[in-house]
Amino acid sequence: MTDRDRELEAMLARMSRAKVSRRGFLAGTGLAGLSAFIAACSGTSATASPTSATPSQAPAASAAAPSGEASAAASVRPSAQAVTETEGTLLMYNWADYVDPNNIEKFKTDFKVDTFTYDVYDSNEELLTKLQGGATGQWDIGAPTAEFVEAMVEGSFIEKLDWSKLPNAAYIDPQFQNFYKGDKADLNNYHLPKDWGTTGIALRTKDVQEDVKTWKDFFDVAPKYSGRIVVVNSPGDVFVAPLKALGYSLNSTDPGELGKARELLMGLAPHVLALDSNTYQDKLADEEAVMGLVWTGGIDDLRSKPETADTKYVIPEDGTLYWMDTWVIFKDPPHPNSAYAFLNFIQTPDIQAQETVTNRYATANLEAAKLVPQDLLNNPTIFVPADVLASGKLEGAQDVSTDPLRVQIWEEFSSSIGKK
Amino acid sequence: MTAQSAAAPGAAAPKPPAQPGRWKGRALTGALMLPATLWYVVLLVAPILIVLVFSFGKRSRTGGYTPGFSFDNYASALNTADPFLTSLFLSVVGTALCLLIGLPLAYFIATRATKRKALLIVLLVIPFWTSFLIRTYAWLLILGPDGVAGFIGDLTGNATFRILGTEPGVLLGLVYGYLPLMIFPLYVTLERMDRTLVEASKDLGASRWATFRQITLPITLPGLITGSILVFIPMMGEYVIPQLLGYGQVYTIGNLLYSRFLEARNWPSGSALGVGLILIMLVVVTVYVWFTNRGRTVRDVSVV
Amino acid sequence: MASPAIPVPAARTVGGRAKAGVDRYGRLVEAWLRGHTLLVYLFLYLPIVVVVVFSFNGTARRVTQWDGLSIRWYETVLASKEIQGYLRNSLIVGASTAVISTIIGTMAALGLGRTPKWFRMPFDALTYVSIIVPELVIALATLVFFASTIGPDGVVTSLTGVRLGFGFHTIVPALSLFNISLVLLLVRARLSGMDRTHVEASYDLYGTPWRTFWQITFPQLLPAIVAGFLLSFTFAFDDYLITTFVNGQGTSTMPLYVFGQIRRGVTPATNAVAAIMLLITLSILLGGQLLTRRRGGGGRDTSVAGMIAEQAA
Repeated sequence: MTDRDRELEAMLARMSRAKVSRRGFLAGTGLAGLSAFIAACSGTSATASPTSATPSQAPAASAAAPSGEASAAASVRPSAQAVTETEGTLLMYNWADYVDPNNIEKFKTDFKVDTFTYDVYDSNEELLTKLQGGATGQWDIGAPTAEFVEAMVEGSFIEKLDWSKLPNAAYIDPQFQNFYKGDKADLNNYHLPKDWGTTGIALRTKDVQEDVKTWKDFFDVAPKYSGRIVVVNSPGDVFVAPLKALGYSLNSTDPGELGKARELLMGLAPHVLALDSNTYQDKLADEEAVMGLVWTGGIDDLRSKPETADTKYVIPEDGTLYWMDTWVIFKDPPHPNSAYAFLNFIQTPDIQAQETVTNRYATANLEAAKLVPQDLLNNPTIFVPADVLASGKLEGAQDVSTDPLRVQIWEEFSSSIGKK
Repeated sequence: MTAQSAAAPGAAAPKPPAQPGRWKGRALTGALMLPATLWYVVLLVAPILIVLVFSFGKRSRTGGYTPGFSFDNYASALNTADPFLTSLFLSVVGTALCLLIGLPLAYFIATRATKRKALLIVLLVIPFWTSFLIRTYAWLLILGPDGVAGFIGDLTGNATFRILGTEPGVLLGLVYGYLPLMIFPLYVTLERMDRTLVEASKDLGASRWATFRQITLPITLPGLITGSILVFIPMMGEYVIPQLLGYGQVYTIGNLLYSRFLEARNWPSGSALGVGLILIMLVVVTVYVWFTNRGRTVRDVSVV
Repeated sequence: MASPAIPVPAARTVGGRAKAGVDRYGRLVEAWLRGHTLLVYLFLYLPIVVVVVFSFNGTARRVTQWDGLSIRWYETVLASKEIQGYLRNSLIVGASTAVISTIIGTMAALGLGRTPKWFRMPFDALTYVSIIVPELVIALATLVFFASTIGPDGVVTSLTGVRLGFGFHTIVPALSLFNISLVLLLVRARLSGMDRTHVEASYDLYGTPWRTFWQITFPQLLPAIVAGFLLSFTFAFDDYLITTFVNGQGTSTMPLYVFGQIRRGVTPATNAVAAIMLLITLSILLGGQLLTRRRGGGGRDTSVAGMIAEQAA
C-alpha cells in the first residue's frame, strides 16, 4: 500500500464519519469530484491519465483531465508544503466583516505578520470594474463570488494557485472546488472555496397559507399577496425564479427561454413591494412583506425570535442557485508568501470551523464542517440538507448577467416594480 | 450697498488698481488660478475625454471597454426618457422644497442668531458626519409601518398607507440629504446683508414683503443660484436614496447609470448616457443662471 | 422686536425695537422664523437620535430590529482595530480634502475676477461640469486616468519607475475636484456683491495688497470660507463612490465599511461609531461655548470669524 492509497483510505473514512451525510456527493455531482480524486491518486505522477475516469462520467472526467492540476485541487497532495515564512505584511481586499477578527489576530501572531490591512468592497461588480479600470497590483488576496473568477482570469487579474503551497486545500469539498465544469475546468486552479449558500423563498407562514414549494408556486400565489413581496436587487438571483419555474438552466441566455422568463417577471413586477438586497429581512419581520425571493442572510435571526418564528426558508424544489465566495490571490501580489500562508491557515479545520460559526455561512471545508456545532449544521438557512444537495437541483451561477438580452429584461423589470 | 451698487464699480474696474505694474498683477492672477486650473485639466478634462472615448467604443466580452467607433451607445441612451423624467421631477420639486425650508432658516441664522451663528452653522453639518447609509436606515425606521406611516395609517383608518416606496418618501430623503448645500450659500450671502438697509426700507413705509423682495432677495440671489444648482444636480444623479427609501419603485436615471456601468458592465453604454446627461444638465444650468440673472449686472468683483 | 430665545446684543436690536410698534406683524414673523428654525433642526437631528438610540441595540445582526438594551456595540467598536482604522482613514481623507479644497477654491474665487473673458468663460463652464458630471461617471473615469498614469502599467510608472499605486494620494485629489468647485461657488456668491470701496480705501491707507487682503477682504470672506471648509469636510468624510474606486491598500474609509456591511445587514456597531463621533464633536462644541461664555463675549459684533477665533482659542 502506497502512501497515496493510505491517504485515500483515510480520506474516505473521514468522509463517511462526517456529520453531514456525504452520500449526497457520491450520488450527485460529487461523484465527479471523487472520480477526479481517484484519477489524481491513481496516477503515478501528478498528471492524471484522462482514461482513468469512467466513461459514464465523461463531463466530469473532462473537468478533471485537461491539466491534471484541476483535479489535483480536489485531492490530497502529499508533497504540499505550507508556507511558514511570510513577508510580514498581508493586504486583503474583501467583503466587510468576512473574516473572524480572532483568526486574523492568530494569523498575525503565528506567522509574524505585523501589518494586516483589510480593505472592503460591497459588490463583485465594483471589485471587477475596479480591476478592469486598472487598479491592479494593490492587494494580495480577495474573496469574490465564484462566477466572477472567469472574468478575473480573462483579465489576468488573479494568479493561478500553486497547490503545493496549500496542503489544507485537500479538505475542500471537490464539488465546490470543481465549480467550473467542462472546458472551463482549468479556472478551478485560480480559486479556493470559502463559503456558500443558496437563493430561495422566504415565507411568513402565518400570512401565506399556501404551501409554496417551488418557484412555480411562487409565481402562482404572487397576485394574491400583491404589494407584499420583496425581491433582492440582484439580476443574477432574480432570473433564477422564472428560469427554474420554466425548467430551464438558471444560466440560460437562449432568447426563446429568456423571452418566456421575461413574461413571468413582468407579470410579477406589479406585485412586488420592493427590490431590496439590504433590508428585506426587516420588511419580512414587519410583515410589510410576507413572501420574498431572498438570500439566507438574516433569515435564521427571524426564525429565532418568537414573534417572527413562523418565518420559513424554502429551497425551491424546481431547483435554485447556490452561490459561493472563493479565495483568490491577485495578480503580482506584493506579498505572495503571506497570501499563501493565509489561505492555507484559514482552511485549517479548526480555524475554518470558527469562521463558519462567526460568519454563519456554510463552509466548503469538509474537515471544518465536522467541527461545526450541530445546530448550525441542521440549520437549513446555513447548511443545505443532504437530500437537497444530493438531488442535483442546485446550480452554480455563471457570469451571464452582462448578456444584452438579460440586461434589457432586467432594466425593464426593475423599472416596473410596483407599477400596476 | 446692495448687490447692484456694489457690483457696478467692481465690474467697471476689473483691473486691480494701485499695482506696481501689469506684469506683477498678471503673475498674481496666474498664481491664484493655477492650482484650480491644474485640478480641472488633470482630474476633470482628462477623465471626461476618457469618458468621451469610451462612449463611442464597444463593450468587451467580459465587460469594460474595447476600442471602436459607433453612435450605437448614444442611440440607446435616447431611449431613457422615463427614468430621466422621474429624476427631473424629483430634482425640481426637491430643489424647491430645499429653498422653501432653507431660506427662512438661513435668514434666521444670518440676521437673528448673532452670537451663536457659528454654533448653529456647525450644528447644521454635524448630522452629516454620520454615515449617509446609517441616516437613511434611520429614515426607514422613522417612516416605516412601525413609525410615521403606521401612525397616520391608524389615524386615518387606512391600513395600507405608506410613505416609503413612494415619491414623497424619496423626496423627503433627498431634501434631508442635500439641505445643507442650499442653506450654506444662502447663509453666506444673507450674512453680508446690512440690517440698516432693511430698517431703512421699513422706515420708508415699505411692507415686509416689499422689503424682502426689493432688498433681501436681490442680495440673496447669488446664493440662491449657487444653492439651487448645488442641490438640483446631485439630486438628478442620486440612486441610493431612491433605491432605499423608494423601495426600487422609483426608478431614476441614476439607477439606470448604475445598472449600465456595474451590473451590465457596459462602460460605453454608461458613458454615452453620462455624456448625454452632462450636456443636458449644462444647458439646464446655463439657462437657469441666465434666467435668474436677467436684467442684472451681478458679476465677479476683483477684491484683491 | 420680540426677544428671541437666543440673546441678541443691544447694539443689534436698537433699530428693530424702535420699529416694534409700527410693524404689527413683527412678532408673528419673528415667532415663525424661530419656530421654523427649530423645526428644521429637529428634522435634521431626528434620524441622528434614532441612530444613537439604536447604537444601544442588543441585536445580533440587524440594525433595525430592536433587541434589548446593551453596550456591546461600543465594546465591539472600541476593540476593533479595523473599525478604528476605517474611521481614522475617513478623518484623514475628510480633513486633507477640506484643507486643499478650501485653499484652492478660495484662491480661484479671488483670482477669477481678475482673469480675461477668454479664460473665465471656459473656466466657469468647467466649474459647473465638475458638479454636473455624475459621481459614478467621474469615479470610473478618474480610476482609469490614474491607472493609465500612475498605475502598475501606467505611463508615469514606466517612465520614472516609481510605483505610486493608489491610496490617499489618489482619493484626496479626486475628492477635491468637486469640493474645490463647491468652495469656489460659495466664496463667489459671497464676493459677488461685496463692497470694493473698503478695498480701495485700504489700498490708499495701507498700500500693500497683502495687508489689505488679510485685514479687509479675508474677514469679509470668512463665513463663506468656513462654510466651504465644513461642507467639503462633510462630503469627503462620507464619500462612498469615488473613494471606493480610487482607494488603495489600507485606505478604506468608514462609508466603504458601512456599505460593505450591507450584504450582511448593517450592525449597530456603525451606529455606535456615529454616536461616539457625535459625542466627541458635541463636547468640543459645547466646551468652546463654555469657554467663550467664561471669557465674557460682551456686546462685540460677533461675526463668524470672531466666533471661530474664539472657539479656536
